[in-house]
Amino acid sequence: MSPKDKLAGYLAERWRGIGLSLVIVVATIWLGATGQLGLYIHPRYFIFTTVMALLGLVFVVASFVFRTPAAGEPEPAGRGSAGRRTLALGGSALLLVVAAVTVLALPPATLTSATATQREVNSGGLDSEAAAEEAAALVGTGDYERLSVKEWVSLLAQSEDPALYADKTASITGFVLPDAADPDNVFYVARFVVTCCAVDAQPIGVAVYQPGWQASYDTDDWVQVTGTFVSNPSARSSDTLAVLPTSIEPVDQPSDPYVY
Amino acid sequence: MRRVPTGLILGVALVAAAFAIRGVSPAFTGWGLPDRAQDTITLALSVIIESAPFVFLGILLSTVVQVWLPHGFITRFLPRQPLLRRACISLLGMFFPVCECGNVPLARGFMVGGFTVPESITFLLAAPILNPITIITTHQAFGWGDGILLTRIVAGFVIANVIGWLFSRHPDPDSLLTRTFSASCALPDASGHDDGRAGGQHEGHSHTHGARAGRIERSVDLFTRETAVIMPALFIGSLIAALTQVFVPRSVLLALGSNPVWSVLAMIALAFIVAVCSNVDAFFVLSFGSTFMPGGIAAFLTFGAMIDVKMLALMRTTFTTRTLVQITALVALMSTAAGLLVNYVA
Repeated sequence: MSPKDKLAGYLAERWRGIGLSLVIVVATIWLGATGQLGLYIHPRYFIFTTVMALLGLVFVVASFVFRTPAAGEPEPAGRGSAGRRTLALGGSALLLVVAAVTVLALPPATLTSATATQREVNSGGLDSEAAAEEAAALVGTGDYERLSVKEWVSLLAQSEDPALYADKTASITGFVLPDAADPDNVFYVARFVVTCCAVDAQPIGVAVYQPGWQASYDTDDWVQVTGTFVSNPSARSSDTLAVLPTSIEPVDQPSDPYVY
Repeated sequence: MRRVPTGLILGVALVAAAFAIRGVSPAFTGWGLPDRAQDTITLALSVIIESAPFVFLGILLSTVVQVWLPHGFITRFLPRQPLLRRACISLLGMFFPVCECGNVPLARGFMVGGFTVPESITFLLAAPILNPITIITTHQAFGWGDGILLTRIVAGFVIANVIGWLFSRHPDPDSLLTRTFSASCALPDASGHDDGRAGGQHEGHSHTHGARAGRIERSVDLFTRETAVIMPALFIGSLIAALTQVFVPRSVLLALGSNPVWSVLAMIALAFIVAVCSNVDAFFVLSFGSTFMPGGIAAFLTFGAMIDVKMLALMRTTFTTRTLVQITALVALMSTAAGLLVNYVA
């Protein structure tokens, strides 16, 4: 084996783990420091994740201090040809570059409607009993405008009796998600519910009846909708009740776009 | 081995550079990625950020077992009779509540430290379920209702031990491992302990300054070696999990929820693609409680804790593809049986 191949193998084996660890550790600490970890994981993990990232950072720096020779992963007989080693180095380098660009250079982002459409709206995500209790407590105060998408969705899951909602005004914030059954007339004011991390996010939403809404708003726009509940005029939509909006205001995406 | 102060400077400089890139790049907004590409990145990154701390924790615990505890410290307390021994090993998760991703480096450490291959498979399958955090969160989510928690605990124990027993009948268990990992176990000093060659010199005064410095150095070396194997697998596994999420509609699976047989199979499929940590999967699946029959949920909680797309990528660092196919098939069959039992009997 030529010294060049040896060096290639050494670099691939020794530094790819440190490189990837460095990328993810720096990204995690930065997200934590700038208050954006919530775009990816549930708040209950914030402390643990940040502490482990700091510990990881110590090990990453330490691995530059103790640079042991590449005795690590041994190559059994029959493996480790020059071609394989070069391939391993190429693959590792590619993975590292892709990881560094996507993790360190791309701006952090919340999930979009593309994911929401893959996961039926209001098909899961809420612990309905607990959410309904919270909602009931808020309903008790009579201040319906303080109820969020999550609370309305859990109330609607309990009962869709129009009489119950007749005199109540909703003021809810979420992103625009077209109703798959009647995209021209109905959209959802939607949020993602996260249990663990964004990968398990389930979309929930309150239906809004507004024919021709596309002329004013795009899918994924963040809006605050105010209005009252009526029997959904749309024949195709599967929601019995919908909000008939008195106002739809564009708003900035909140710093914590998910609900828990 | 020599210490180079430039190493410290180099390390700190690279970390600073990474922070600088991260700090400057939000200024370049509007990359204009298509939604699906953007969501794939967001989903993959969320799995990596969620799992990486557990992987680090697993590596650190594995380092404690391999470098800082006396050789054979854990095996010393285990019974010698193989069945009893594996039964005890399947309860080790009670002391190492690491989550399944962290269990992979830990299981590798156990194998280097003297566990047989079937024993480490038993640990790997049982520990995500038979650990205090998983049991508490599952209890918070379901209580003892519908036999879901009981099924999860019993099935986790039985499946891990049956599979451990089956693989213990294998004529050549080392052939279940990848050649690279198998060879690193066979290294005389792979355990990283002061026994063997150096043992005589250090016995009895291993807490001298020199020995401690040596251990710190070996701990860092182990971190380097384990991350080199585990981190690429974590990144690639997370990317596959994210791609599956973006391109496989979840609604297809949810439509199957109310059938006693299909609900079990659909939930196993969902567990496979969603790759959620066993510590909190109970909360996740609770939200599907109204859609799915209890057997489906029990199967989700049993299968998903042991096998999913990300776990297979992580386990592939250690086991051959053939072994993983066999383990996956066995876990799927037994989880299905457990789910059907709940749906039809309980």
